[in-house]
Amino acid sequence: MSRENSRSSPVFDVSSQRKIALPRPLHVILMFFRQYIRKYLIALSVTGICTAIAIPFYPNFNVTNIAMLYLLGTTFVALRLGRGPAVFMSVVNILVLDYLFIPPLFSFEIDDLPYFFTLGVALIVAIVIANLVVTIQRHSDNAVTRERRSAVLYAMSRELCVAPDAQTMAAVAVRHICEVFHATAAVLLADEQGGLASMLPADSCPSDSHTALRSFDLETAQKVIACGERLIAEAVYIPLQGSRRAKGVLIVRPRVPDCVIPDEQLNLLDAFAAQLALALQRARLAEAAELARIASERVLLRNTLLASISHDLRTPLSAIAGAGSLIALPGYVLNLDRRTTLGQLIERKAQDMSNLVSNILKLAEMEFGDGALRTDWHAVEDLISHSLRAHEVCLSQQRIVVNLPADLPLILAEATLIVQILNNLLENAAKYTPAGTTIEISAVVSDADMLIVVADDGPGLPPGDPERLFEKFQRGRAEGNVVGVGLGLAICRAAARLHGGDIRAMSNPGGGARFELRLPVKMLIDMPAASESDYLRTPA
Amino acid sequence: MHLILIVEDDQAIQNILRMLFEANGFRVVVAGTAARGEHDAKLHRPDIVLIDLGLPDRDGLNVITEIRAWSPVPIIVLSARTAEGQRLAAFEKGADDYVIKPFSAPELLARARAMVRRHVRGDLPMGMLQLGEVSVDMTRRVAQDRHGREVRLTPLEHRILESLVRHGDRIMTHAALIKEVWGPNRDDSRALRVYIGSLRRKLEVDPSRPRYILTELGIGYRLVIDTDGPSGNAPH
Repeated sequence: MSRENSRSSPVFDVSSQRKIALPRPLHVILMFFRQYIRKYLIALSVTGICTAIAIPFYPNFNVTNIAMLYLLGTTFVALRLGRGPAVFMSVVNILVLDYLFIPPLFSFEIDDLPYFFTLGVALIVAIVIANLVVTIQRHSDNAVTRERRSAVLYAMSRELCVAPDAQTMAAVAVRHICEVFHATAAVLLADEQGGLASMLPADSCPSDSHTALRSFDLETAQKVIACGERLIAEAVYIPLQGSRRAKGVLIVRPRVPDCVIPDEQLNLLDAFAAQLALALQRARLAEAAELARIASERVLLRNTLLASISHDLRTPLSAIAGAGSLIALPGYVLNLDRRTTLGQLIERKAQDMSNLVSNILKLAEMEFGDGALRTDWHAVEDLISHSLRAHEVCLSQQRIVVNLPADLPLILAEATLIVQILNNLLENAAKYTPAGTTIEISAVVSDADMLIVVADDGPGLPPGDPERLFEKFQRGRAEGNVVGVGLGLAICRAAARLHGGDIRAMSNPGGGARFELRLPVKMLIDMPAASESDYLRTPA
Repeated sequence: MHLILIVEDDQAIQNILRMLFEANGFRVVVAGTAARGEHDAKLHRPDIVLIDLGLPDRDGLNVITEIRAWSPVPIIVLSARTAEGQRLAAFEKGADDYVIKPFSAPELLARARAMVRRHVRGDLPMGMLQLGEVSVDMTRRVAQDRHGREVRLTPLEHRILESLVRHGDRIMTHAALIKEVWGPNRDDSRALRVYIGSLRRKLEVDPSRPRYILTELGIGYRLVIDTDGPSGNAPH
């Protein structure tokens, strides 16, 4: 097979030879002719050409020289057409030489004995040359095939390396196989139990591939997975062998049905399958490593949480238990006032615990959840007022000022998270500022951001880096008369970042603490005055 | 004396609720399971139902559906489920209010009383509506403040207010409100939020801390009308 040949006629693509549908026997004869007879006819015609060249020179040339001319022809045929035609041609050449040039002319008889020697040597040399040439040709062909094969394999494995997941890898492999083999291909990935879960459409292949894919036999594929060996039915099924079990099946279907696939191409297909299997294995391992990492982080977080929760839950619990047992003392030892005080204490402590629990749950949800935000359009004043309403009691000692411009745009956000941020900031303000403090909530829009600020004129932030406050289990002051695991600000930050924003703490220019929540504004909405006609419909 | 049916499986909370409502002039029937709750609802015909969602035999949502099939009795859900989706599901099944555990006893009592009042009295009169300093004549569609100055409401704002008034103290979900105001083919909550904002600016004393048009996060809105006059039940 010559170089051009191997490139222009891929294995399965024999469609060019079958433009006209021929009756079966005729087709077989034609194929036979194409494969064999043609080559021998060409060899004969080369002999003819050699003879035509030799005849004019005959009287002046020695027979040995003419034999050389024929040898040249044989070499050429060996180079182009292979061993069979070359050997056939050397024999014909000897006969022609004998008939035309060795006296007596125009007969196969030979007068001189030395001519036997000449003809014999010429025949042997021709056959040897034919053999050598064919061997060299095959070596070079093999080298070319190998080179091409490693090139296409390399091209695929390079893409497989950067593919992020199994699905992408399968898509890459399918695309490459479609290109290289001019066939339709599909990859069925096996799930953990070895069942074929997902079918990957070969969308990079020509359009007819989809219909072809649908007819892939799932049962056969399942069988291939189970036995782990290649199977050739109406298509080629190659299992993608992993370390322990098959990761899936590669299915390749020739464009032309019933065409025989040469071994060499099957080997190449196997190589492709092996590459893909290796990549899939690697993806699975990387996935497992990532899972292990997440698991270990979870364990770490859980341990820290447990340690600090057990402290912060026990403290209010012991107060509640103590107050409860006092109230339950027999014989009305306590007067009504004291009972009321204890009841309020229980309620307050229980509320603290409830806040703590919801904070923990929120954080766990954000850290371990799927990370998807359930966003909707919200008015900022709506969210602020909602949060303020929930803190009316605990902020009754502070003065609240809300300062919002009337034309504030809506924000696209998950309401519960934004309210949680505000809740935590307000709870902090309630905990850490004395009675009479003014707490100002304001919002401004600048460029693509909305800045929501909660500022107070209280004692201000604790000394040190304000960023430290946003770490988990940090508390502004070390002494323990204020309840609450230091989760509040960590939750604020996590929630803000989920929205693509951030939250920062700083000292207020006029004294006190200041928290700035920055949120990206996705879209500015016209105010209703400008757009009422748009929304107005005929009354329902 | 109004009869309240409490469907709740936890013994401690049963006791607390019983004490709370009996001390405040209700007759109390307690059911510990969903099946028992449905049975008692048919037997006693309560004026209000308080129901927990996590019941031992069935989900409380089923009980709401069951009761709603034959009775318009006010239903308050009392549950530890806080996710928006779960709350929304309860409203869609026909619940009128949703109180999250742990609950504050005075607030629960206030909501239950308001609910019974509306239900027993029937729907609110559509005549004059007093919201703080602004009085709205719902039939003539005009509003004026304390000093007699006219407060202009756009037709859409009026329609939103009407829908809220019709639902009394109960929460109206975003979807229901949008459907009533804009018709069935609009699914955009942005306009609604903008109009609620402008309504508040016109009706509320302090629009950033509304007292009348309240937001139920992720669920909808509720109009609170002090029929007992402006008694400051929430300290400022």
